[in-house]
Amino acid sequence: MSEEKERPSEQAGTEAKQETEAHTADSPPEAPKDPEVVEKNESSAAHETKPSAAPVDPEREAKLKAAAEARAARAAAKAAAEGGQPSAPDATAAPVDPEREAKLKAAAEARAARAAAKAAAEGGTPGGTSASAGETPAEPKAPSPKQPELDELLVHLRTQVGDSAVEEASINELNGHMPMLTVRPEQWLAAAQTLRSTDGGTFDYLRNVSGVDYETHLEVVYHLVSLVTKREATIKVKTNREQPSVPSVTPIWATANWNEREIYDLLGVAFPGHPDLRRIMMPDDWVGHPLRKDYVSLDSEV
Amino acid sequence: MIRTEELLLNVGPQHPSTHGVFRIIVKLDGEVIIEATPVMGYLHRGTEKLAEDLSYTQIIPYTDRMDYVSAMTNNYVLVHAVETMMELAVPERAEYLRLVVMELQRIASHLVWWGTYLLDIGAMSPFLYAFRDRETIVNLFNELCGARLTYNYMRVGGVKWDASDAWLDKVRDFIPYMEKKLIEYDKLVSGNEIFLARIRGVGAYDAKTAIDYGLSGANLRCTGVDWDIRRAKPYSLYDRFDFDIPLGTNGDCYDRYLIRLEEIRQSLRILTQALQQFPSGGETMGKVPRVIRPPAGEVYVSIESPRGEIGCHIVSKGKQEPYRLKFRRPSFVNLQILPKLLVGETMTNLITILGGIDIVVGEVDC
Amino acid sequence: MKGLFKGLGVTFKAMTEKKVTTSYPDEPIVMPDRFRGIQHFIPELCIVCNQCARICPTDCITLTGKLNPDPEKKGKVIDTFDINFEICILCDLCTEVCPTEAIVMTNHFELAAYSRDDLFKDREWLHNNNTKVREDNNNIGAPQGGKGGAK
Repeated sequence: MSEEKERPSEQAGTEAKQETEAHTADSPPEAPKDPEVVEKNESSAAHETKPSAAPVDPEREAKLKAAAEARAARAAAKAAAEGGQPSAPDATAAPVDPEREAKLKAAAEARAARAAAKAAAEGGTPGGTSASAGETPAEPKAPSPKQPELDELLVHLRTQVGDSAVEEASINELNGHMPMLTVRPEQWLAAAQTLRSTDGGTFDYLRNVSGVDYETHLEVVYHLVSLVTKREATIKVKTNREQPSVPSVTPIWATANWNEREIYDLLGVAFPGHPDLRRIMMPDDWVGHPLRKDYVSLDSEV
Repeated sequence: MIRTEELLLNVGPQHPSTHGVFRIIVKLDGEVIIEATPVMGYLHRGTEKLAEDLSYTQIIPYTDRMDYVSAMTNNYVLVHAVETMMELAVPERAEYLRLVVMELQRIASHLVWWGTYLLDIGAMSPFLYAFRDRETIVNLFNELCGARLTYNYMRVGGVKWDASDAWLDKVRDFIPYMEKKLIEYDKLVSGNEIFLARIRGVGAYDAKTAIDYGLSGANLRCTGVDWDIRRAKPYSLYDRFDFDIPLGTNGDCYDRYLIRLEEIRQSLRILTQALQQFPSGGETMGKVPRVIRPPAGEVYVSIESPRGEIGCHIVSKGKQEPYRLKFRRPSFVNLQILPKLLVGETMTNLITILGGIDIVVGEVDC
Repeated sequence: MKGLFKGLGVTFKAMTEKKVTTSYPDEPIVMPDRFRGIQHFIPELCIVCNQCARICPTDCITLTGKLNPDPEKKGKVIDTFDINFEICILCDLCTEVCPTEAIVMTNHFELAAYSRDDLFKDREWLHNNNTKVREDNNNIGAPQGGKGGAK
């Protein structure tokens, strides 16, 4: 299972490199664009193609570590290449970098420890190899205050919908420790039904549906809140880029109607089951999906 | 023998009562609407796509222009999202300034709504009165941050300009003036029989529909659902103040009207308390790194703007620019209920219902 | 009917109140000091650091510099400096980041022109636009600039 995931992600990785390089080449010529900014873009494109292991958490840590290393290398290169440029704004940027780098390393280690603790506690997720990712487990981090909510949701979804419905589950610490789950598109409709129901958490208010274009895949993010218990949850549904399709939840939350139309219009994700899927922002005869990363606009003036 | 035919009528996009460039294709049978299809996108400026190339400080002027009637809350939602991601502490004086400014903005926005709504219904004087009072607020903002509509006032970590004591005194003088004016508005309009006949019972829906359609703001509270983000999930310093959340019972346009006027009164109450508690000194900007680079990850925050719940979803890859920036705009979501409400109504009620939802097309299209 | 009469009472009372209409343009509007109007540029202070062009959200500033003709001094001096007022949104970010306060806002807001070419302001025009210059700049970029310009 993990090997299957590795091969397409490596392939997608090389595709991503080509896409981001094309993107930086195509980026509109701005009035004096600094060489430093272009350098930053290129080095970030380079490190995105590092071969990634199957589960997300260690992959993210590896990326963060690589980003920190790249940033340190860049800072060193910048300090070396500093010529007659007025150094007032740049000099203050250099001492901040090692500090931030250290913080990122500490955060990455803490995340590794948490992933190890969670993998040991859960033991049933498909990403069970996260503990052996080779990171040194630091002192065990205190469990998040919303962890029981996340566990409750997980258990409920597994029993009601199926064992394979939830791909990943984590706590988004940045966002006030919000439980974040990734659900498979095939089971999304059933999962949404059960989330709306009383024993599933009564998530009766769908706050926001966003589409995100990661270069390897597309993702639709649903933010839910329960007006009764005031709990929040974030659900992500991933889909591929060639034929993106996520079942529509308009029958369950009517507010998803126009939100899904907007995502269809701007990103091209099809929502089978939607009562009226057509363009909403762009004119009806527009070709292309503007918010995609590889969208080339007809009018290059913009 | 009179035979009627179905007529397809185009309301907008250029229309004085559609609150912007907004188009509704209406299928009429005589004067009764059979079906209404809103068409939008005439003001789509691609803010979300542009934001992928700009740093967070550069996006702040763009947020001003989304909901241009209530620019301070737009500024705040973006800045709050970035501060949540980076876990930055905002100094107290800056937070109080933000709160004072946001509540003043709520009053200004509701005044615009009140004036234009009554103008749509047919009354001319309230429009001028509302704008006269809004001028006071807009002049206060002009003195504070140098612009009357697109303030570009908040920054990640604080606010840009400090307020002098003279300015705070002016706000203190404004509060009793506005309270007096609210009583006058009530006398002018709320008891008017023609107005009541036009508005009572129009465009009613129940709480379940409202929650299902994701309505927010006065549109949700008119059905009796007690959900105001300032109370339910407090942000900024709202948990320090004592204020009521007005709720309706019938879910019709009259309830929405009364709720919004009452919200102005409650905002004045919050302002009084905030100005009493205002710290006498302090910084206006917190400790912010020179280059704003939030950590990789994503975040969704939402606040209560005058129109409802405005939210900001940022996906960041650790760079200066966001990877994906999405705004959850209340006017966009609130407008979904329009086709449902209009079936079976007359043409005159279309304007009443559309005005009662309180949309700003800059926000609908983003 | 009672509601109508109460309303009429309010409108009749409003006739006795003080007028708030100003007769602009006969009576010019005086903007407060912090008002963000069209910019004023001081070439002697500019060090060609490019911060204003980088921070501009709409990319309306284009500038070129040349090496200082004085062989004693290092650094660059400004050669051309153009602001495209078709897209400038007067957001004030350029004045905020300028380390030497070479670009500041004035209080002029009457920018209407009869032709689009007039809206492309060059260095000479911006330098000559030196009336009603804003005093309180709150320049965060300047090293000694104060954070929070309390009056």
